[in-house]
Amino acid sequence: MKANKHQEQKKTVKSALESLTAAALILPGLLQQPALAAEDDEVDFQYSHYQEGKREISGITYNLDGSQSVSTVKSFNPIEVEGLHGSAKISLTDRFKFAFNYIQDTWGGATPISTAPVGFNVNSLLTGPDGQTIVGASPYLVGTGNTYLDQNLNPVSPSGLDPQSGEPSYTTDNQLTHVMSYASPETRKQGDFKLTYEWDEAALSLGGGISLEDDYESRFGNIGGRWDFNQKQTSVNLDLSYTNSETNAVLDHDAGGYLYPVNYSTQGFDQINNLENEPFTSRLQGTRQDWATHLGLSHVLSKDAVISGDIGYTRSTGYLSNPYKGVNTVFIDPDNQCCLSAGVAYRGSLYALMEQRPEIRNQWNLGGRFVQYIQPLDAALHFDYRFSADDWGIQAHAFEADWVQPVGHGWTITPRVRYYSQDAADFYTPWLVTMQPYNQQVDANGNNLGLPYDSSKFRNLAKPSADYSSYFSSDHRLSGYGALSGGVTVSKQFAKGVSVETGFEYYTHQGSLKMGGGGEGKYGDFDYWVANAALKVNLSALSFKPGPEATGHEHGEHSHHALPAGVMFGHLLPKALQMMVGYRYQYASQSGPMLNGTDLVMDQTIVSQGCTGARSVGCFAAPSNMAMHMHMLDIMYAPTDWLTLMLMPQFMDMSMSMRSLSGSPGGLDHSLNGHLGHHLQNSHETGGIGDLGMFALVKLFDDNMQHVHVTLGLSAPTGDVDMKMRRNHQIDGGFIHYGMQLGSGTWDLKPSLTYTGILGQWAWGAQVNGTVRMEGQNESGYRLGDLFQSTAWGGYHLLPWLNASIRGVYTVQTAVHGQFNGIEGQFFAEDGFTPTSSIKFGPMDYPQNYGGRFWDIGFGLNVTIPSGDLEGNQIGVEWLQPVHTDFNGYQLDRDGALAATWSVAF
Amino acid sequence: MTSLLNLLLLVFGLLLSACTVVQPWERGNLAKPQMALDPYPLQSALRVHNYGSREASAGGNSAQGGGCGCY
Repeated sequence: MKANKHQEQKKTVKSALESLTAAALILPGLLQQPALAAEDDEVDFQYSHYQEGKREISGITYNLDGSQSVSTVKSFNPIEVEGLHGSAKISLTDRFKFAFNYIQDTWGGATPISTAPVGFNVNSLLTGPDGQTIVGASPYLVGTGNTYLDQNLNPVSPSGLDPQSGEPSYTTDNQLTHVMSYASPETRKQGDFKLTYEWDEAALSLGGGISLEDDYESRFGNIGGRWDFNQKQTSVNLDLSYTNSETNAVLDHDAGGYLYPVNYSTQGFDQINNLENEPFTSRLQGTRQDWATHLGLSHVLSKDAVISGDIGYTRSTGYLSNPYKGVNTVFIDPDNQCCLSAGVAYRGSLYALMEQRPEIRNQWNLGGRFVQYIQPLDAALHFDYRFSADDWGIQAHAFEADWVQPVGHGWTITPRVRYYSQDAADFYTPWLVTMQPYNQQVDANGNNLGLPYDSSKFRNLAKPSADYSSYFSSDHRLSGYGALSGGVTVSKQFAKGVSVETGFEYYTHQGSLKMGGGGEGKYGDFDYWVANAALKVNLSALSFKPGPEATGHEHGEHSHHALPAGVMFGHLLPKALQMMVGYRYQYASQSGPMLNGTDLVMDQTIVSQGCTGARSVGCFAAPSNMAMHMHMLDIMYAPTDWLTLMLMPQFMDMSMSMRSLSGSPGGLDHSLNGHLGHHLQNSHETGGIGDLGMFALVKLFDDNMQHVHVTLGLSAPTGDVDMKMRRNHQIDGGFIHYGMQLGSGTWDLKPSLTYTGILGQWAWGAQVNGTVRMEGQNESGYRLGDLFQSTAWGGYHLLPWLNASIRGVYTVQTAVHGQFNGIEGQFFAEDGFTPTSSIKFGPMDYPQNYGGRFWDIGFGLNVTIPSGDLEGNQIGVEWLQPVHTDFNGYQLDRDGALAATWSVAF
Repeated sequence: MTSLLNLLLLVFGLLLSACTVVQPWERGNLAKPQMALDPYPLQSALRVHNYGSREASAGGNSAQGGGCGCY
């Protein structure tokens, strides 16, 4: 009996323990070890801004007394990158997971293309509009001057006037400077996916993606597996990836006389092609392949600590160089030395050869990460170390520590610090000197015979024994340096699975921070900061929430299910305190013929009529393709049931390509000092954050069948309206045309009135909306035209979860008022060019060629996910087909517009 | 290379020495978001991309492929 009781007690204890365990297992996340935390269905958006600091650049200034001296100034327009990242993780079934990422970044600004001793005078120092000296973006052209060296081949710099002769004199000066070049904005877009199948203790994934830039295309695929064992206390993962990248770079003809591709055109690489229609432009093509594999292990050390380690190997082959980087090489012809100034022993000729990196790189990586829970503070300490080594001679170490500190009410603050140090590549050299003339042999037909030099004689004075006969690069990323960075991330978890995350990081790259010393000189130092903000929506957490009243099954909510995707501000949130998060994408495309009003026009007419204004001679070019992409976030909140507030940040990117107009004044010969060639050979791109919309939707009438509301909106001028083309041929490019600026630049009023109705399977609606600019002009001197739009639609529920709609839209927009600050005329030559002026090539540069009257018809589909984790999510698409176009002035015909939306209310 | 091997040995040594069994119900702390190996994956992707375009070493996730970012 006693024994029995004891047994029973044991049983109770055991079952209590079992049920406790079972209860614990139900708690989300507990079943899985954290290293592999169950990935919830999630949709995330992130915006980021990367801003480089100004670099110190040196050049030579010419003084009034005839002497020259070295000046060091800050470079202007450092690199900026505006980035957008959208990501979705969805469970297709219990075991099939799908993840998708879309990333785009638009960058522009000045970046180093080579390095030279300051005395070589490769940077041209200019006087900016404020009278301050700034550094010219265009490099010094070879042949317009000599380089001077002392008897040990050290470079010299001018140091005033020789008291005896009154001529400039020179002294040895080993100070170096970067040579800067400026790039107009360019956009990269990347899409990738991963499909994962999960077993109880293993997973297999397959992924791939593509990254597109004007001059670089990359395609990649990967396969990975994960195995858990030891009660999921340990897991191992193995990945393999393959990347194929194509470089297709138009060599900058502005630097064409400076950056010398001779080593790529006559070495049998056969990578340089001249463009047929652009005789002075050549294109470099190269293919690169990367195979990478990666083995990782993560392990639960104790109930408070996790560790992970990984080892990786990457093999890269093919064209691994950067087509925009050069190595300054001084050729000294010993037989041609005469008449040298005081302090000068040798005169050399400077050629910036395009860099040559090895065609193979093998790289190994080893990393470890340790995460420790700090009980008294409820915090976690993360420590990372990573080592990498390659056969280019680069060894690198990276250390990082993060402290993740929850501070209550859903807030978490994470400070972090990181230190990185790397050695220089074996073939890294800031510049080269060689005792031989640059001597190009040619055959009877004038074709080059071999290389004009013997590269085995190339020397780096700082590393006299190093061999640069095959490979050389001055890219500062291959130099020896250290980098210190620190930052903080603040996140806030709201109820219902929504969280917001923002971060800031400052990064400084310095030669003196290199581990063990011996880093690159101070001239190479630079810094940057990055700020980012993200909105994360956990769909799995949302799907726990909705009670019967919020599942979207109620018929009252059908009214907004039926809204065509292109209709904005079309519905209120039906319940007080409800929230909605949505994403809205719009794409508009223009191509084909040019129209004037409603009529097709010939090139000759555009030339003579399309560019009318003060001191204009006519159009040179017309757009051939234009595309606009808008990414918008829709964040709605209803403080009461009759009022919904809405915040709409936007991210824009636009591109345009142009063609020359036949019969343009003087044709291509008269190509605005070479600018036209740049416009025709590369498409123009802009991108970044757009205007911020703030709206209040007020219900006026609702009887469950019909509904009327009014929207009052304000648009804040957060988008840039001063996007400019880069400097070319020592001339500023001026503003990129009105249609490619990222915002309106003015505070705009955006009112609208919406009526919707629903009966059975039918839904219908109508809306009038307007955009009124509330300022006379923006900071760049103009204002966009006001806009008025009216639309009406009808829809039918084909299936309970599927709705089709058809819509008519009429839009009127007035022309641009005012014009870009600067001169009024078309040419800088006639007008006394100023750096802020706009060079006008075609109709898009004239304000009268904007706006018009348009009819469109829209075909839409809307899907409401009926069940599962994504229940209540809505997806809509609509194509707007132009049916009638009546442009103001001369504009490119419209192809149509696409709208796509996703939203979830909770 | 020797430093690489030493480090490898150290890591695996650490792992082997840590054979305590942590039962599922003892994993409450480990399940907290701050204990995730990467608590901010979105931001990490951005940081890795920035480091990757400014530093010569490929970083950890070389098996993912990706774009150039070679400004």
